[in-house]
Amino acid sequence: MEKLGCEKKLINVTNDVSVIGSGPAGIVAGISAREFGAKKVIIIDRNNWIGGILPQCIHDGFGIEEMGISLTGPEYIDKYVEKAKNLGITVMKETTVLKINNELEIFAVSRKGLMKIKSKSIILAMGCREKTRGNLIIPGDRPSGIYTAGLAQTFINLYNIMPGKNIVILGSGDVGLIMARRLKIEGANVKGVIEILPYPNGLPRNVVQCLKDYNIPLLLSHTITSIEGKDRINKVIISKVDKNKKPIPDTEKIIKCDTLLLSVGLIPENEISRNAGIILDDSTGGPLVNQYYRTTIPGIYACGNCLQVYDTVDLLSIHAKIAGKQSAKNAIKGKNHNNYAEKNIIVKPGTGIKYIIPQMINKTGIIDFSFRLEKPNKFSKISFELNKNEIFRGNLKYSNSTGIINMKVKIPNYSPKSILEVILNE
Amino acid sequence: MNDETKITCILCPIGCEIRINKKNLFIIEGAKCEKGIEYSKNEVLDPKRILTSSILIKNGILPLISVKTNKPIPKDKLFNILEILKKTSVNAPVEMGEKIIRNILNTGSDIIATKTVKKSK
Amino acid sequence: MRKFQIAIIGGGVIGSAIARELSKYFLDIIVFEKGSDVASSTSKANSGVIHSGINSPPKSLKARFCVEGNRIFHQLAKELSVPIKWTGKYVIAKNEEEEKELVKLKDIGIKNKVMGLRLIETDEVNFNEPNIKCKSALWVPSAGITLPYQLTIALAENSVMNGVKFLLETIVIDIKKNNNYFEIKTNKGIFKSDFIINAAGLNCIDIVKMLEEPDFRVYPCRGEYLVLDKKYAFLIKSLIYQIPQEKFGFLGVHITPTVDGNILLGPTSEYIAEINDTRTTKQKINILLKEAKEIIPIIKDKAVINAYSGIRCKIYPPEYDGISDFRIENSRVNPGLINLLGIESPGLTAAPAIAKEVVKIISKNIVLSKKTKFVSKYDKYIKFSDMTNERKSKMINKNASWGRIICRCENVTEAEVINALSNPLGAKTLSSIKYRCRAGMGRCQGGFCTQHIVRIMGEEFNLDITKINLKSNKSNLFIGKTRV
Repeated sequence: MEKLGCEKKLINVTNDVSVIGSGPAGIVAGISAREFGAKKVIIIDRNNWIGGILPQCIHDGFGIEEMGISLTGPEYIDKYVEKAKNLGITVMKETTVLKINNELEIFAVSRKGLMKIKSKSIILAMGCREKTRGNLIIPGDRPSGIYTAGLAQTFINLYNIMPGKNIVILGSGDVGLIMARRLKIEGANVKGVIEILPYPNGLPRNVVQCLKDYNIPLLLSHTITSIEGKDRINKVIISKVDKNKKPIPDTEKIIKCDTLLLSVGLIPENEISRNAGIILDDSTGGPLVNQYYRTTIPGIYACGNCLQVYDTVDLLSIHAKIAGKQSAKNAIKGKNHNNYAEKNIIVKPGTGIKYIIPQMINKTGIIDFSFRLEKPNKFSKISFELNKNEIFRGNLKYSNSTGIINMKVKIPNYSPKSILEVILNE
Repeated sequence: MNDETKITCILCPIGCEIRINKKNLFIIEGAKCEKGIEYSKNEVLDPKRILTSSILIKNGILPLISVKTNKPIPKDKLFNILEILKKTSVNAPVEMGEKIIRNILNTGSDIIATKTVKKSK
Repeated sequence: MRKFQIAIIGGGVIGSAIARELSKYFLDIIVFEKGSDVASSTSKANSGVIHSGINSPPKSLKARFCVEGNRIFHQLAKELSVPIKWTGKYVIAKNEEEEKELVKLKDIGIKNKVMGLRLIETDEVNFNEPNIKCKSALWVPSAGITLPYQLTIALAENSVMNGVKFLLETIVIDIKKNNNYFEIKTNKGIFKSDFIINAAGLNCIDIVKMLEEPDFRVYPCRGEYLVLDKKYAFLIKSLIYQIPQEKFGFLGVHITPTVDGNILLGPTSEYIAEINDTRTTKQKINILLKEAKEIIPIIKDKAVINAYSGIRCKIYPPEYDGISDFRIENSRVNPGLINLLGIESPGLTAAPAIAKEVVKIISKNIVLSKKTKFVSKYDKYIKFSDMTNERKSKMINKNASWGRIICRCENVTEAEVINALSNPLGAKTLSSIKYRCRAGMGRCQGGFCTQHIVRIMGEEFNLDITKINLKSNKSNLFIGKTRV
């Protein structure tokens, strides 16, 4: 890209803030950046529509925490798209980012050609992708009729295409639960949702209104041990699993089906981030960030599902607003603003905690943490220990799932190279 | 005699498990807010849901337009309403919020579009 | 009833290589392929290795065609724009016992005229391959890797350009020998041909049975593979093989980089009942991971993005202890029926040499005259991701669809998908697009690009999108419309 001779052919654009991805996180962060003073904000998206996955999420439940009303996906995103338009934010559709670098340059391509976009701040909002059969290494044949839940949703809701009639769903993630209901509504026979864990993985409200309302069986502590069918899938073999998620012999059962949906988890999309040299957190799958959602490269911020996989769009938007605001501040004040100080706290997930964000802090005062427990745990307390001294103890209001938990904690003065550990006390 | 039942509230992502007496609608425990108390009482008396689905749209840039009931409808009418939606089609353009069917099955709820579908060129 | 001089049964790498080699001559050639695309069986599911020839018994056909094929590949890959990398290979010994085997292998290699073989110590291995655990190794510089399905596609499509007729989804139902020609009954009609080349792979025995009593049996032997994410490409640069387990008649689990930057673990070896039983099994998946970790301890389970299996066409039973060689012969009972039997590993490497051998057999029976206008170059599937920026810009200027990326994992553009869909074989399944332009082959395994490919098939090719197949004509993707 940087080679001379090519430069002339590149379309050059300069911005205050460039956002990669026009899903809810990208749009919300872009709006926030504009509202906090960034003059020129552009959002780049590879698709020919705005809103990422939301236009196909035609069910309701969006906006409850954030706006106090329950909207469908398209309605929710529309509110922000209108706002973005009014603020003069440009969305470059059908434009794919090929790479970014630590000089805050974005190299992208569209039908118009290759382009180089220079920015004072970049916001990463690339979202996530669904885990596939390969990630789980499910043995058996390799027939057609196996879809990730989100892809099935795309076809049913946007393309008017039915993927199948007799459906088995592996994984009780929210997308899987929502698709169980969606398929049932469209006349399919949803034979059951198979979950390897002893508890459902999606929100309780979705277990009720997507499965119980429609009498769809939920098989906990079960998994699929084989997929069969030479051409199109015709059955799956399921087994009970033990505490270590290992199939128990002689518990196999056959379920005949023509379609298998996978709702087995989401992986933050960070190929661009990794190639740019941004350090990623193995447990979130997203970039390491500080309290301003800034990554390890100054000027680059992260929000949305590429930072951590959110349970609801509401919390995602609340966090994206902060990333947008900070990116604007950085763009206005110049590159050196809130550069990583020598003085910072490393935040570590301790006993019982799966991950925590931010992973780094470089200021005192109130910090907004979000974290997940390793497994559901009722009636628990969380302690924040700064260099082994407890600085905060909080009760978990609700933790009967592995959903994201939010806590505000006041960080006192600290010495350089401090460590803040977050621990679950039973 | 066991008149007690457990209801998982679906109003927000918390999903409170509310224990309620089916006979006298006395809340035993579990609700973290007023809305949840209201919900669990309704759930015993007359469970209702918002229905979301889609309708065929002709001459639009998309083949389907997403719709919802603008008020919760009785749970036992879900499939009756769906049957109607399956037989319904509209012509593009349709704006988000437009009423497609008024007072469907006398439920007092309208079917409204939840997205805008423009006319295809 | 159309009359051909040559009818090739099977569009695998062997059938396609023969088709291309024969298309250099003035001949009327037809190829019958039962799948929805070429390379739909053994030819697509293997390690993609261009073997050196150290593993085949001296003087065997396997040794001869492997060494010869390896040599031809240098030129062939260039002509067909098929990627090839001469990575070299390490056969590793884990203990002293195995070190003795290395010496034996080296001797075989020398007898087979394999160049550059060298026994080397751990330090030197680890200088080049720091992640490998071994005691010592045999360095085989002439081994390489290619993309077997892309090679087969290029061979087949290049032969179409040179006048060969390819019929997909065409099943040979029966063959009759008349006085001086064969009558071939298929689901697409009856064809006449002077010669039949039986390159039906695992189905080779069925073709023989249509004409005569076979003197062999097919013992399908499955090999399972795991594919690692490109993130782990750094683990190895060369092919890493274990000492072949002679008694099992296969090369043992090896670790192979692919041209695309993934890593393959496998294959296993298991005799099975059905020739199309390409399932993967938990047991073998565990074995692959375990054995791979013994060689590269830092491999993690979560590195795996896919599992698949391929089936070897063996014509000798597992207990046979002689040389299980290829059989390439003109039938004595029905001259003109040229059988290619038991073409298992190193069949891919041997393919171009086998093709030349078949030409030789035919030339003994009829006079062949070479075309002066044979088009040897084939480069239909140029890749956006391989282009320089200058070229990218030029292509987009000429045709804007080069600027629209459809598959983000592999950076495949709309132009490439359209190009793949307009292939000269007329293959139009989702898999045929994947194997031509890589859309859907990356880490999301089609999660994002499938909808765009389906859209393009509908919009640009006027196909009924509810009728699209994954691979075979019974592997429909959808059942119909949501709303009618």
